[in-house]
Amino acid sequence: MRTLRTLAGVALLAVIAFVAYRYFAPRASSPGVTIPVYYAKLDGETLAKWDVSVNPNARDADSVAFYATAQAVAGPPPDVTAIRFPSGTIVRSTHVSGSTATVDLGGTVAHEQSGSFAESGEFKALVWTLTALPGVDAVDVKVDGARVATLPGGHLELDEPLTRTSW
Amino acid sequence: MNRLRAQAGSALALGLALLLGVFGATAEPARAQAVGASGVIQTPTDYWFAGTRLTFDRAQYRAGRLAVATDDSGLARFLGKLGATLAYQPGQKYVVITTGDRRAVAFVVGDPRFEIAGTAQTAGFAPYVSGSAAYLPFADLARALYVVPILDGDATVLQPQIAALDVRQVGRVTTVTVRGASPLHFKRTSADGDDRVTLAFTGISSTLEPPRDVAGAALNGVTISASGTPRNPTTTVSFDVAPNANRMLVPGESANALSIAFAPAGVALVGTPIPAVGEATVATVPVVQPAEPTLANAAPTAAQATPAVPASGPTPTALGLATATVSNVDADPEGDGLSVLVSISGPVTYEWHRLSDNRWYVDLKPATLSIDPQEIPVTSDAVQSLRVKGFVGPSDHLPTVRVAMTLATPRIVNLAATSDGLTIAVDRLDDLAPLHSGLGEVADGKLVASIVPLPAVLAPAKGDAAQPPAPTAWKFGAPLAAGTNPRLIVLDPGHGGSDDGAMHNGLVEKDLNIDVARRVKALLTARGWLVKMTRETDVDVFAPNDSAHDELQARCDVANQAGARLFISIHTNSFTTSELSGTTTYYYKSDSYGLADAVHARLAASLPTADDGIRKENFYVIHHTTAPAILVEMAFLSNPGDAQLLKTDAFLQKIAVGIANGVGDYATPGAPVSSNGSAAAE
Repeated sequence: MRTLRTLAGVALLAVIAFVAYRYFAPRASSPGVTIPVYYAKLDGETLAKWDVSVNPNARDADSVAFYATAQAVAGPPPDVTAIRFPSGTIVRSTHVSGSTATVDLGGTVAHEQSGSFAESGEFKALVWTLTALPGVDAVDVKVDGARVATLPGGHLELDEPLTRTSW
Repeated sequence: MNRLRAQAGSALALGLALLLGVFGATAEPARAQAVGASGVIQTPTDYWFAGTRLTFDRAQYRAGRLAVATDDSGLARFLGKLGATLAYQPGQKYVVITTGDRRAVAFVVGDPRFEIAGTAQTAGFAPYVSGSAAYLPFADLARALYVVPILDGDATVLQPQIAALDVRQVGRVTTVTVRGASPLHFKRTSADGDDRVTLAFTGISSTLEPPRDVAGAALNGVTISASGTPRNPTTTVSFDVAPNANRMLVPGESANALSIAFAPAGVALVGTPIPAVGEATVATVPVVQPAEPTLANAAPTAAQATPAVPASGPTPTALGLATATVSNVDADPEGDGLSVLVSISGPVTYEWHRLSDNRWYVDLKPATLSIDPQEIPVTSDAVQSLRVKGFVGPSDHLPTVRVAMTLATPRIVNLAATSDGLTIAVDRLDDLAPLHSGLGEVADGKLVASIVPLPAVLAPAKGDAAQPPAPTAWKFGAPLAAGTNPRLIVLDPGHGGSDDGAMHNGLVEKDLNIDVARRVKALLTARGWLVKMTRETDVDVFAPNDSAHDELQARCDVANQAGARLFISIHTNSFTTSELSGTTTYYYKSDSYGLADAVHARLAASLPTADDGIRKENFYVIHHTTAPAILVEMAFLSNPGDAQLLKTDAFLQKIAVGIANGVGDYATPGAPVSSNGSAAAE
């Protein structure tokens, strides 16, 4: 009987340990989990991508989307020639609801003008990146927490969700 | 054993039932495919149009709705009877149907939204491609063509409708235009001399509101009523005419339109008498005929090998107008230019041409000259001589007054209405385009330029002794959006006021934008367009330091509220680094590609900047304007080479001329829109 209780206790501990491991272990520790992050080349039309490993702390859709947004806004490595968000742009939040990712940007992008060419390339890359995530097919952009018609440059319309067919 | 047999029988029955069920379930598509392959589809209802059965040989069903292929012979017959044409090429995304009255109906493959003359609608399903054809939602297409499907027993009758009844007042003349889905056949049902003219239009119905008051000098009201059966409808239009008023038929712009002019007793009208009671007729339309050889166009040199001047016939607006009198022509120097004042007693149409040898003239009609034909002395470096004379138009037989000048250089010439008539202003700026022309109306102190571009006129061999060039027949260029002013272009110089736009290399974007916009305005105005700018000076259009939404929407509102025909936003590009350069033209709506294509072709051909092409982008101002809209990024401020160019007058003028010439190309019949200029959009 005592042996049985010991065995049951060991089994219970094993189950608890397994559950705890599954819960606390970072998902990205699974080998090969990456997401594509896009950037626009200087012709303004061609997109290229690089793969980044998912942030070990990104466990849910919002976290993964936030991580992807931050990567897209930061752009590819410095030695790659690309259309980039203005230096100093920050990602305030990213939230996925249904099939739409809502991105809230701030910092430089909220008050500094860039030309129509740059705006298009920046947001095209961002939209391609986020819509590469499972279940996301549209991107709603906010600036400093508010819906805006356009950036200060006054070009690309941002008050409707952007999709890959926006271009 | 019996039980075993019974079980076997049940199993067999079940198997058969399943088998039948499977076949039953697939029977309809199988039949549809087989029928489709054989060429004729048996539609669940018969379609009838214009008294005959309409058979679709390339039709399918989508979401329970009839989908008809672009190469279906039944569709071709349907469109042909309506005077409409369809443009589609395999591999393209757009299908454009141009109606008999020159409206464009644009479908996009894969998108349920479609546009009727610039107004967005939603179809029952998205057009799709199968084989080499695109399949269109037929019911939606029919309604866009003012044809309403009506159930009549087991059949569906496609009933054409009277689409609109437009009333236009010029001076004391009221002109009513009835527009139908198909060519109009009518007969008179009330006697001439009554206070009422009643016309019965056969084969066409109407859902327009019956009574309509008209505050005209000779017309008090119009009443519309529909009768008959679904297959044989009749629409009766009654005109409540003032006693003894004159009334004439004047040619409409297409066989789908009938125009009748009314004027009080004593005001002469030119046109065709309304048919006698019981006499049937069809709406008339100016006939386009090959040009008669004249001194003006008889033997063009190789350098002058432009297309023959088509059409000989009066501008319809000239018909129905009382004859005005030109009582004086005066000239005053104005800066480096010349201002010519022409005193006119009433409404006239005008048509001007500048010949390749720098002679310029305007014909005013119907008008007579109450002074002697003469040469008016001028003291101006811009104009060498100024002349006025009267004559009767050789082809339209309308009394005409011609004011002609010989310019020193190919100057821009602007027309403006005054309370007394017309001012002809010879500008100080040169216009580099080789040949120009335009037409419009002057009435009640207002000048309304027409969008109708005239064909190039060859230089006469012998001065003014040569025959005047034959006026063109009335024809439309790019399709008109509903409710728009077909003569108005809105130019939008980007940024302004508190918004400088981009700044690089000592250049400020807002200043460049308005500089070029002013040049484009001068060119387009001189070519007969009415031009409005969203801002004339360095100001915010909405308010200083306003939101992007308020500012940009205000710019769209300028165009939308004025009913602009075209919207052109002018910007200068920039980038974070200096390596990018070039000129780009952006469009967003499918109806705007033709304009973008025409303008960009001119810019790319004439500018030394890199050709960055035509791009589709959801830019606010070209999305929220009703009219076809484009945004031109002239060059990159941030690129040293482009910036150097942007600092020169010559480059800015080249941009302006390119935009103006592109607009001219777009507004020419057969230009990209009407032949589906969106072909290369994607």
